[in-house]
Amino acid sequence: MKRVFQHPPEPLTGKKYWRSLGEYSNSPQFREWLEREFPAGASEVSEDEWSRRDFMKLMGASMALAGLGLTSCRRPEMHLVPFTKSAEWTIPGKFLYYATAMPRRTGAIPLIATTVDGRPIKVEGNPLHPASAGATDTFAQASVLDLYDPARSRRFVNRGKDSNRGEFDAYIDKLRGQLGSNGGDGLAFLVEELHSPTRERLRAELEKAFPKMMWCVYDAALSEAQDDATRTSFGENVRLIPRFDRADVVLALDSDFLDCGEGDLASARAFTQRRRVKSSKDTMNRLYVVENRFTITGAMADHRLRCAASQIPLFTHVLAGKIATLTKDSALLSLLATLATPAETVPFDEKWLIELANDLVSKSGVSIVLAGQQQSVVVQLLAYAMNSALKNIGRTVVVREFPRNRNTKNILQLADRMHRGEIKALFIFGGDPVYNAPRAVGQDPDKKTPLDWADLQKKVPEVVRVGYHEDATSTISQWHVPLAHYLESWGDALTSDGAYLSIQPMILPLFGGLSESTISQWHVPLAHYLESWGDALTSDGAYLSIQPMILPLFGGLSEIEIMNGLLGRPKVEGPELVQETFRATKPPGDLPTAWSKFLRDGFAAHVPLRDRPVTFNDGAAAQLTHQLWTTTPAPTSESPEIVFVRSYAMDDGRYANNGWLQELPDPITKLTWDNAAIMSPNFAKSLNVETGDLIQISINETARDANDRPIRRELVIAAYVLPGHAENSVTIPIGYGRKKTGPIADESGFNTYLLRTASNLHFAVADGKNIESVRVTKVGKKYPLANTQEHWSIEGRGVVREATLDEYREDNEFVKKCGGMDEPQSYLPSLYSHPPMDAPQQWGMTVDLNVCTGCSACVIACQAENNVPIVGKLQVAHGRAMHWLRIDRYYASAKPFDEDNGEFPQDPEMVHQPMMCQHCENAPCETVCPVNATIHSEDGLNVMAYNRCVGTRYCANNCPFKVRRFNFFDYNQRPIGKKKIAGEFGIYREYVAPFTEKGAPDITKMQKNPNVTVRMRGVMEKCTFCVQRIEEAKIAAHVHAGASSDIRIPRDSFTSACAQACPHEAITFGDIKDPESKVSKMKQQDRNYRLLDYLNVKARTSYLGRIRNPNPKMPDADNIGVACPGEKA
Amino acid sequence: MAIAGILIACGLSAATWYYVTPKYTKVGYQPIQPVPFPHDIHVTQLGMDCRYCHSFVEVAAQSNVPNTQTCMNCHSQVQKDNPKLAPVRESWKTGKPIEWVWLHRTVDYVFYNHAAHVNRGISCFSCHGPVNHMATVSIVEPHSMAWCLECHRHPENFLRPDDQIFNLDWKPDDVKPSEFVAKYGQPKSVTEDWTKKKHLTQQEIGQTLKERWNIAPSTNCQTCHR
Repeated sequence: MKRVFQHPPEPLTGKKYWRSLGEYSNSPQFREWLEREFPAGASEVSEDEWSRRDFMKLMGASMALAGLGLTSCRRPEMHLVPFTKSAEWTIPGKFLYYATAMPRRTGAIPLIATTVDGRPIKVEGNPLHPASAGATDTFAQASVLDLYDPARSRRFVNRGKDSNRGEFDAYIDKLRGQLGSNGGDGLAFLVEELHSPTRERLRAELEKAFPKMMWCVYDAALSEAQDDATRTSFGENVRLIPRFDRADVVLALDSDFLDCGEGDLASARAFTQRRRVKSSKDTMNRLYVVENRFTITGAMADHRLRCAASQIPLFTHVLAGKIATLTKDSALLSLLATLATPAETVPFDEKWLIELANDLVSKSGVSIVLAGQQQSVVVQLLAYAMNSALKNIGRTVVVREFPRNRNTKNILQLADRMHRGEIKALFIFGGDPVYNAPRAVGQDPDKKTPLDWADLQKKVPEVVRVGYHEDATSTISQWHVPLAHYLESWGDALTSDGAYLSIQPMILPLFGGLSESTISQWHVPLAHYLESWGDALTSDGAYLSIQPMILPLFGGLSEIEIMNGLLGRPKVEGPELVQETFRATKPPGDLPTAWSKFLRDGFAAHVPLRDRPVTFNDGAAAQLTHQLWTTTPAPTSESPEIVFVRSYAMDDGRYANNGWLQELPDPITKLTWDNAAIMSPNFAKSLNVETGDLIQISINETARDANDRPIRRELVIAAYVLPGHAENSVTIPIGYGRKKTGPIADESGFNTYLLRTASNLHFAVADGKNIESVRVTKVGKKYPLANTQEHWSIEGRGVVREATLDEYREDNEFVKKCGGMDEPQSYLPSLYSHPPMDAPQQWGMTVDLNVCTGCSACVIACQAENNVPIVGKLQVAHGRAMHWLRIDRYYASAKPFDEDNGEFPQDPEMVHQPMMCQHCENAPCETVCPVNATIHSEDGLNVMAYNRCVGTRYCANNCPFKVRRFNFFDYNQRPIGKKKIAGEFGIYREYVAPFTEKGAPDITKMQKNPNVTVRMRGVMEKCTFCVQRIEEAKIAAHVHAGASSDIRIPRDSFTSACAQACPHEAITFGDIKDPESKVSKMKQQDRNYRLLDYLNVKARTSYLGRIRNPNPKMPDADNIGVACPGEKA
Repeated sequence: MAIAGILIACGLSAATWYYVTPKYTKVGYQPIQPVPFPHDIHVTQLGMDCRYCHSFVEVAAQSNVPNTQTCMNCHSQVQKDNPKLAPVRESWKTGKPIEWVWLHRTVDYVFYNHAAHVNRGISCFSCHGPVNHMATVSIVEPHSMAWCLECHRHPENFLRPDDQIFNLDWKPDDVKPSEFVAKYGQPKSVTEDWTKKKHLTQQEIGQTLKERWNIAPSTNCQTCHR
């Protein structure tokens, strides 16, 4: 019997977070579960909360109304509760789609948010706009969980005490008066990088009202190097956009451009589309990567060179020399002439460099040289100079007009003024500078010790922090204002190439402190982007709108509203601020129609993307290069380099409390919940360290304190050994170890910001200028790391099949020869009676390994769509991660692992393979279920009936692909990360049932997809090919047919969540019986193969073998395209 | 002794078989609603269509109960002082919605879609019974999985012409065979000329519509258990 709790229906005015709901079932909800998940201070009882007495009174009353005295013997009474007045367009339970955008560092991503019953539950890319073309990345998919984060800030805090919007508005008024009197002297803003035309417009107005104010942009993962270089070389207000669609050869110098985390999906997609091969007649582009660690770009590379990050400038210098010699380009030659020639012996493979240069020069005008944005200005300038010499400017690298306000200061300039006491009022929008600001932004004048941001912030008398969590920065600020999510906000944005997008809110604020009667006043709390009106620029400059999907859940404010308040303007009722900006773009036609179209499409097509036909200003570039050029001594095993990189899961730490991202296995290391110090096998051997050992990184600076002791920075971190990592280099991802953000973030990872100072934002190496020594020593203790895949080998089974382009051209059918065993082992008649698969439409899927980068957007999309729970670090370590779709990462090398010597191949390749339920026609799992919970549908799906499953787990045992996931501990209802236990994995005691808490907070339930069952303990689950989408499409086809017979689902009219999310369209889903559908065309290709066919499972999911395009003249060409057991032609 | 034990066990299982099924526990449930809304007056007497209130039944999975505004469309003028309608007026005034007691409820792991049924020849009557004659709504069908499968396996026993979906008083006898055949034809396998018949049975009507509209409801688990 299901345990059902009678819960009295809450009044609409009291239970604020169900404000815009239609009918709903009054299924068990305890408000106290919501309360319990909150950080300290947030669980205060609001005056509207139901006391126990009221609860019992109403329960009794409804019992009496129902005429039942003893309800314990009868069915529990459940209620249907409609609106009093319906919300426009809202049909209960039906999905409604709105266009909006997610503002990101380099540019915004245009999105379509799926809302149901007035709240957003999923985001997809906006197919109307090329900046996403219908796809998203991991952060966009995970952002919807951030909206429903129970640890979100819900209140205004004034000097530690609860406050409200009214008091805050009064404070802003007072502040404005004070600042106005002296022209804004002492007013400063510290904001994150957002390309929002509305924010810029309001900023300009603020600068007019307060001429002496200071506007600073700080983003931990943003480097000014590219901006400086671009400005020097090409002028003001421009950005370089790579045109990968036109490039045949790409060189990435420490540039992880395939990582969509910066917000540039369009470029990554343009690159991978050039790698698609439909037949052996097609051509592919070629990718050379020079990097110190393995990135997903490196995994895609045709040729890869390991090079310490601090040596990339030297490499670039040498390569530039080679290109200059070949092209005889005067600009490049004169630039190089200003630099000292490198030493005779350079630590790089001479042939590698020469052949690379030859290849680039032979492809002049269709090549690109990219320098990672974390590398210094000189590397950027050299890269631009090389592009210029290769005649790429204007062709494969275009100069796009992109507004950049020159008046923007950086955090060091702000810190300097704060230290001198010149800043009186500081507004911090978002970010968490106490956590992620560079260390040593100031210096104690007496003790000569470094001062960190927290020390300096305490000197500012009035700090208003607008933040998403009440984190470390908010604790030391005078005011804390809850920030609205982008899904709760109005706004606009620019894409990375300059297109103009809209951002609109989706739902009224859940906890906005509004009652029904005050609905006219739109408190738009600074919300998550999904709650915010705003605007943003995509990474290439397209102008997007941001419309809120939900009014801010907790009464948060958006940045533009606070700025509006500071200007003394009347409170806005939503989109007025964005409308003003939109009006200034001079839309054609009448404004209301144009505005509606802007919101409906999500972008403004009339805002043009302008390219500037400029030439490379080699004079200025040469001057700057000469000025800034330094060489760094090569790192050694005694004095290695430490490299700080953005984390694939945490970005710079902003997603610290996002459970999905914490549990997402890093594409390269497959680590969850932690970061680690990544190093090469040789370096690890020299330290006598293996994966999981704790190491201590000590950096001694050249600076001395008042007692003449060197300034020292230390960090203890776990080590992780990665083949293919550069020697004497340690990569530590940032974004972990963030405190006071929520229960998920706590205890997760190591705070690498402790080592990061302004002079070594990208890497720390003993160069004798700022840093005297860098030492890495073994601590002697171990740290448990939750790794989802320690398995690096295919073990000869041919799951990944790869060849070079030449091999493919010689033999089209190479996939059939790779891995050998494709023929079923037995020809005996089958005893098994096959379920009839006679539906007119049959579903299947392909995964093109050529374009899969391993970015894991599909993993998060599947998690969001299918209510897949997270399990916590301890359970992941036990192998119980619940991801229905996982990305397997394999290494490949022509030279096998030398067991005797313990020698890893130094330069392996990396291949990613997404693995989900293969929906085998002869499924091994179906025959062994004792209760017939898993059956085969007539349209080819392997179907799971959760209610029938008793938890034998025989099906998972029998599955050769290990794609079935068992819900061991009711993960959907258990909290994560609360109580510590002792022992090796001394982390959490979440699941020692039955004594732990049960019940998910209501707000987490709001994210769940109502069309998918939320599974309970003891039930098996797996990829269903998004059966809810298939059924939805079938139902729509039936409804459309009505009294007629054509119930066919139109071709390619819907797709699975993973296929929709992939920025590179690696996954294709559809009707395999229709020869014209996309998936059929993929399956008809000669690269198509099924996994483990020798078991005769007849998988419906098939893969397209990977092709790499090595340059046969390169010295490592023989080691490429070798992920293929068995003999090839 | 043993015989007594066996008899008790048989008795218990028989009792379970009879009493612990939706046919016993669900059918006949007739709770008192906060507002005693009489379907018979509104539908039969006044002639309102089901869809005036249950407006999304043709487009959505859930057929909605009406919001207070729908009631107030008439009752702001009609019967505006009737004490039975006090909760409606109260709801309209305060903005607090009426909490109707939920009758026809499927469990959480069943996903039922009204639109797919109502647009394809299944009337409200088939599952909800003669609601148009009910003063207080009660459950008349067990809504168990076996009961759903009865129709899914043999939809011809329940299909009706598409213009009669919301006519809850329709009977197969109401159909004039000549008109029916003119509009929908007759099954291909039937050689007899149905225009000559006096009446058509439900099975005959259903079979015709099933073939004509390509009705093939799936009996596979994923149809309802997603």
